[in-house]
Amino acid sequence: MKCGIEIHQRLDTGKLFCSCPSTLSESTPARIIERKQHPVSSETGGVDTAVLFEAQKDRTFTYLVPPESACLVECDCEPPHKMNEEALFASLSICTQLGSTPMDEIQIMRKTIIDGSNTSGFQRTALIAIGGSLETSRGKVGIQTVCIEEESAGIVRRSGENTVFRLDRLGMPLIEIATEPVIEGGEHAKETARKIGEMLRIAGCAQRGIGTIRQDLNISVEGGARVEIKGAQELEGIPALVENEAQRQKKLLGIMKEVAKRMGDNPEIPAHFPDVTSVFKETGSLLLKKALQKGERVFGLRLPKHAGLLGIELYAGRRYGSELSDYAKSAGVGGIIHSDEDMVKYGITQAEISVLRTRLGMESTDAFVLAAGEERIARKALLAVWSRALESEIPSETRRALPDGASEYMRPIAGGSRMYPETDVPPIRIGQAELERVKNEVGGRNAEEVKNRINSLLNPELAVQILKSRHLNLFLRLCDEGHDAKLIAITLTKTLTELRREGVELRDANSSLIDLFFLYSEGIFVKGAIPHLLRKMAEGKGCEDAVKELGLLRITGEGLKRIVEEEEGSMAGIMKKYSLLIDADELKEFLRGYKAD
Amino acid sequence: MYSEILLCIFKEKGIEEGDRIKLTKGSSSFEGMLLPKIGFGDPTCVILKLDNGYNIGVEAISGIQIELVSKKAKKDEEKIHVGRMQGILPKSRISLLGCGGTIASKIEYETGAVKPAISASELVSTFPELAYAAQIDAKQLFSLSSEDMTPEHWSIMAKEAHDAIKAGADGVVLTHGTDTMHYSAAALSFMLRDLSVPVVFTGSQRSSDRGSSDNKMNLFCSFLCAKSDIAQVGICMHATPNDDFCYFHSGVRARKMHTSRRDAFQTIGAQPLALIDYEKETVTPLCENYPKKDRKRQTVLENAVNSNVALIYIHPGIKGELFSSLSKYDGVVVAGTGLGHISSGADGTDKMTKPVIENVKALCDSGIPVVMAPQTIWGRIDMNVYTTGRKLMEAGVIGNGCDWTPETALVKLMWVLGKEKDKKKAKGLMETNIAGEITQRSDLL
Repeated sequence: MKCGIEIHQRLDTGKLFCSCPSTLSESTPARIIERKQHPVSSETGGVDTAVLFEAQKDRTFTYLVPPESACLVECDCEPPHKMNEEALFASLSICTQLGSTPMDEIQIMRKTIIDGSNTSGFQRTALIAIGGSLETSRGKVGIQTVCIEEESAGIVRRSGENTVFRLDRLGMPLIEIATEPVIEGGEHAKETARKIGEMLRIAGCAQRGIGTIRQDLNISVEGGARVEIKGAQELEGIPALVENEAQRQKKLLGIMKEVAKRMGDNPEIPAHFPDVTSVFKETGSLLLKKALQKGERVFGLRLPKHAGLLGIELYAGRRYGSELSDYAKSAGVGGIIHSDEDMVKYGITQAEISVLRTRLGMESTDAFVLAAGEERIARKALLAVWSRALESEIPSETRRALPDGASEYMRPIAGGSRMYPETDVPPIRIGQAELERVKNEVGGRNAEEVKNRINSLLNPELAVQILKSRHLNLFLRLCDEGHDAKLIAITLTKTLTELRREGVELRDANSSLIDLFFLYSEGIFVKGAIPHLLRKMAEGKGCEDAVKELGLLRITGEGLKRIVEEEEGSMAGIMKKYSLLIDADELKEFLRGYKAD
Repeated sequence: MYSEILLCIFKEKGIEEGDRIKLTKGSSSFEGMLLPKIGFGDPTCVILKLDNGYNIGVEAISGIQIELVSKKAKKDEEKIHVGRMQGILPKSRISLLGCGGTIASKIEYETGAVKPAISASELVSTFPELAYAAQIDAKQLFSLSSEDMTPEHWSIMAKEAHDAIKAGADGVVLTHGTDTMHYSAAALSFMLRDLSVPVVFTGSQRSSDRGSSDNKMNLFCSFLCAKSDIAQVGICMHATPNDDFCYFHSGVRARKMHTSRRDAFQTIGAQPLALIDYEKETVTPLCENYPKKDRKRQTVLENAVNSNVALIYIHPGIKGELFSSLSKYDGVVVAGTGLGHISSGADGTDKMTKPVIENVKALCDSGIPVVMAPQTIWGRIDMNVYTTGRKLMEAGVIGNGCDWTPETALVKLMWVLGKEKDKKKAKGLMETNIAGEITQRSDLL
């Protein structure tokens, strides 16, 4: 088995080719735009199979335009601006960490995608470096390419042939790191993904939160095909995805061998999709009845000598029939019914099956596939099933990762002919001056150095927590400002988590916490006041106002002396009353002097 | 272009663009197809297309090894067929005249930008569905960017459209760059008198080499327009940012009002002529009194043009000498401020004001028609309201009461001066409505 991994990480800068912020917006869209897209030739004259596949689907796309995070560039109504330098240099600094060689001149390309996820009909992408490697427990994993590209628009919903997208995500910068296909299995893939993710997180340029990092897997087995599984979001799911895909390809090879053996010299499957609606005129099957009530029709396909094959399990929960069903779904139907399924489950009677078999001219060794829907769509679905069944090799596919370690077919794998130069943006020369700038100005934190530093500052448990935390950048910044590492770590992990459980959420956590620690270092309040202050600050108050309103100004100097005298020097008594106002260390120190007096 | 040294190396090794080559530089090596060098890249960087489709630039420093791996293979022709508009063989005959522009643009390696390179017949083959809409006679007139068009090109367009109509076309579609499309459309509006069929200009704001190009819808809607009964010269382009419908704008009232949006064109001071629904394939007229298609009517060609006309834009601080330098022109259009003004010093004796009215008067006195048009784009010239306007009329500036755009005024003056040598008659003709460029009423739109 060969396995490579591609990590896509959103960068925490403005959008790649316009001046919009890279923030997902909650607001009501200012405008709604409807567009269609059609296939175009690539620079060298070919049309990409994946592009033709989408064009056959004849879809209309609706785009919601949130005013604050999408402009005319995202609407494909204005040419792209120049590439966001911050994103480019942050990516180049990652290349340095990986030991990748930057290109002398970066050429911005258009990767043709007409599934509507890009208003322009392509995704802007540029290869910025090649080579390099990453240390893993099983040795070095080579890096193939590092690219910088635009994020696609997010799907809001799909209904029939129309898909609705939001344009706030479109154009956010992504760094894509692709490894060589040298990964040895699921666990190794997970480790590699984790290490790259950690490196990006520590470098400080990564956006954090759900959906900001995605892993794509490239898997092939001997005699199989290169299959790309897109969109694994959880590291934990990677091993199952890898193992299942290897298993799927092996099983499919077996099925194809069996088909070849059974069909012998006559591997023909007639492309004949008769209308078999009348068979189900009186059907008790709820599924079919519902379709017929909507005015839809049922069409059939005979697969000669395929009896028993469609039911073969590829891996848990997925059969060869599911593969055929995926192809049908991509043509727009909800799924198929095939002869290796339990017909009782569908409420289809034996009598109906007998009539159907006759209508399709089936022999006992044949299998059937049914698709219900609007005539054009149902026939298109069976055409897709037919062409998939005819394949004599495992097709190279792009598949979508599903949460349970399974994957489903999305489209044929895209080839090089979908790449076209982005004529609106000049190439970017990366000379000595730019490389110096990466080294001296951008830097980017080195993962190993940061890990060592955190381990030296915190106990192992806190160190692990802070490394995983979304507030890692803030932690490092506050440490750089000279605040107490342990207190920062506890505040950023435990305190904030507890407050979140109470339903308290800081609106702008970064600036609130920077203010908080600054005032703490000035001695304005004591440690114990922090959770109370944060609660108040979550209501929109500044830190200073929160201190005043809650009356949490630290008691020190003369005030402390007076309290000590009032309480007759009892540490326990004082702390019981004043734990939110008096610093225990200061009190201890003071008491030592007080008692000595 | 690549540097001379690189070109020598390629020649020596028998390497041509499109060949597969290998570059070895230190410990790195790159293999891919050699691409032509684009204009503004570094001439010492070799551009390779890698197998994964990405292009990269590799600096050819000393010590780099360049090897030929294999000569370029002949590319396979792949035709695109996407179904739409199934039906019977169409009856309408449409003449498609290609003039260039974004609608016919694809990448040009000389500059790395796009240039018009697709012919009219290639455009039809890109959208085979067009064949269901009409019998198409495609002819390429020019492959020009909009900004390179001249008044002489308008004369050729008018002649070709006239020839096509005479030969029996039910409509004419001209594909044209959008920047100056409204100038060409205005010109043909004047040059084709008693027009018997629709003459439709169209183009695209996003190049044809992208899946989202507006070319397909604009072209389809233009064909629908050309088949309709609106016998007028106009521009058919997106009406909104959506791919839903187009407007057909009058050739003398259309103007490009945005640099990049699909719905850049607007009808100034009136309703568009018609709305064309892309999905439903319908043409709905939005004006009542439009000239109807009548194949029996003889279209008259009056395509003479005098391009020696200037259009100037009035601005604070404009100098009198500028007007003096215009004496070599046969006509001048002035895009004046507001209701049609040029500094006349009418307000008294402010020392900083530098009135230029005397220079304008001198131009008029020399017999050169000086025509006023509004730089506000929208609205009517009225030189009666302020003293300045009255002074301008006294000086001989014409165009009072006209609601034309500066561009239409310019094109009309070129056409009038191409047709009429007598300056007095020319002025009279200027102020007479010919093709809807001067209206009598200003509707509240």
